[in-house]
Amino acid sequence: MGQDFDNAGQSIFRVKDCALITRMAGISSVMSLREMHERLQVCPLESLYHHFCETQIRPSFDDPEFRNDFAIWASKWLGDRVLAERLGILNPYSLDNLSFLRDRLVEIVEVRINENPQAAWYPASEEFRFMQAATVIFDTEQTLVSVADLLEAIPQLSASSVYYHFVEARRRTGGRLDDFSAWLKDLPEETKALEQAFAGIDFYFLNLRELKRALVQICWDWNEAEEVPT
Amino acid sequence: MIRTLQPYEQVVGPIVIGQLRQFARELSGARVVHVNSTRVGGGVAEILSWLIPLMCDLGIEASWEVIEGNDPFFQVTKSFHNGLQGVAVPLSNAMIKTYEETVAENAERLRTSLEEADFVFIHDPQPARLLELCPNRKGKWIWRCHIDASHPHRKIWKYLQSKVEGYDASIFSMPEFAQKLPHPQFLIAPSIDPLSEKNCPLPPREIASTLQRHNIPEDLPILAQISRFDRFKDPIGVIEAFKILAEVLDVRLIMAGGGATDDPEGAAVLEEVQDAAQGNSRIHVLLLPSDAHRTINALQRASTIVLQKSLQEGFGLTVTEAMWKGKPVIGGNVGGIRLQVHNYHTGFLVNTPEGAALRMRELLHRPELISRMGETAKFFVKDNFLLTRHLREYLTLMLALRHGMADHLFAA
Repeated sequence: MGQDFDNAGQSIFRVKDCALITRMAGISSVMSLREMHERLQVCPLESLYHHFCETQIRPSFDDPEFRNDFAIWASKWLGDRVLAERLGILNPYSLDNLSFLRDRLVEIVEVRINENPQAAWYPASEEFRFMQAATVIFDTEQTLVSVADLLEAIPQLSASSVYYHFVEARRRTGGRLDDFSAWLKDLPEETKALEQAFAGIDFYFLNLRELKRALVQICWDWNEAEEVPT
Repeated sequence: MIRTLQPYEQVVGPIVIGQLRQFARELSGARVVHVNSTRVGGGVAEILSWLIPLMCDLGIEASWEVIEGNDPFFQVTKSFHNGLQGVAVPLSNAMIKTYEETVAENAERLRTSLEEADFVFIHDPQPARLLELCPNRKGKWIWRCHIDASHPHRKIWKYLQSKVEGYDASIFSMPEFAQKLPHPQFLIAPSIDPLSEKNCPLPPREIASTLQRHNIPEDLPILAQISRFDRFKDPIGVIEAFKILAEVLDVRLIMAGGGATDDPEGAAVLEEVQDAAQGNSRIHVLLLPSDAHRTINALQRASTIVLQKSLQEGFGLTVTEAMWKGKPVIGGNVGGIRLQVHNYHTGFLVNTPEGAALRMRELLHRPELISRMGETAKFFVKDNFLLTRHLREYLTLMLALRHGMADHLFAA
């Protein structure tokens, strides 16, 4: 978390940054829908998180058609557009935990197998390889004490810092909040509108560059509104 | 030349460089040794030549050792290399004896520094046996496989597996290359140095004089494949593609490459290429010395389209180099080339000489596509395949290993 308190009890925000290192998840790769059904039930939850949520911070070429790797595999390598669309709409942040995500995935695949049992054995043209990542976090030693500090800091953040505080934070904070909003709640200043603006970003469908742009825009809008004489 | 991170700020920006310095704080003073089999020639040596000084600039005590061997040893390790890439090569007891004795001799020389190091990175199969010869090692040992080992020849892999399974971790360039091993297998793509002699900006007159020096007229569009003379790079296939294209378009082809001291097959392949090119004045076959980095840079910049029609490829740094220079690449549909070349975005993936000829013809008829793809290619490399990303991943890996592989860990 970015939140901390100084000696006087004032809430301060510690800006953190992170880097990911990807590794194989240690389970066999998948060549068919039937195999996918089996492996989804035993793969590490960390791997599901990687293939759904860490896609945002991974090197990628352009806007992918689908945000999670399972939907991409179904579309591109299994040639099953119906399955890809059903997997593609899954939003992991709307589920309470990763076990629920696993249940939903297994269910979607089961339904598809029931619809077309023979297709469950069709070989995909590329294997699906389960991966996961370790996240190394470090303190940038930058601290913020006011809304003004936050608005000034956001445009200067690295993409990975944006990822850590805005995306990855949902996993750490029970209320599925980003770190900025969680911290703003503790400030004496009136920041509800700012929190709402942050909450209104549909970040799952943005890449990190777009996400940062959206955050910066909110900062600018807030600053402009604050400057309007009353 | 002392290389520091500071000049890279101009390329990647201060945020990226600041991140690296913050990441490296906890690793300050750590002793890191890299071992490979050649100091010149090939992508691994190039990566190590920038990685070591930059690690040092970050406060890490990094060093680079090279194992020494004679021709028979490198014949054996070339067999290992080919075997990992799926070629059915023999593995006799005599070959194993040659390999094991040579590595044992090297171990005598290197043991002290390797056993004392906090992290040891062993690159590719040649020095892999060093681990079992350093029983008192203190640090973490990582085997870094740069080769496309997606379908290794079973006999070769069985032998090598016994040498690498004792490592603390291994690194592969792509998930497809990973093998069943009892330790964590990390994924790190290689990278290029944008400020090296091979990739830095060049004045137009230097490009022109390089062409002049090699008797290459600037009268026609230039196609080029610039990589080691190696059968896996399919140089003969490139010449075939050129000949198909030359029936309908006037173009020139540069086939340029150097040798690596650990590649004894290079001379034979060069001869095959020269035979295939014989009698065609528009094919320019150049054998370049291993330090001809600026020449390679100039030839890539002089080209309209760059080819890397490999049949097997670990990653294909020549592809990255060409893309960084804003060139569309026609690449073999294999290995790491698939990570870099995306049809209609940064170039074309092809499977045959016919496919390569078709795509070259298409591009030469659509110059606007050449410049658009080139721009996209450069941007893509900047984001993903420059040394700063690579260095960050090495630092992250070392921190992850030091902290016992937790999914989330805080660096000091």
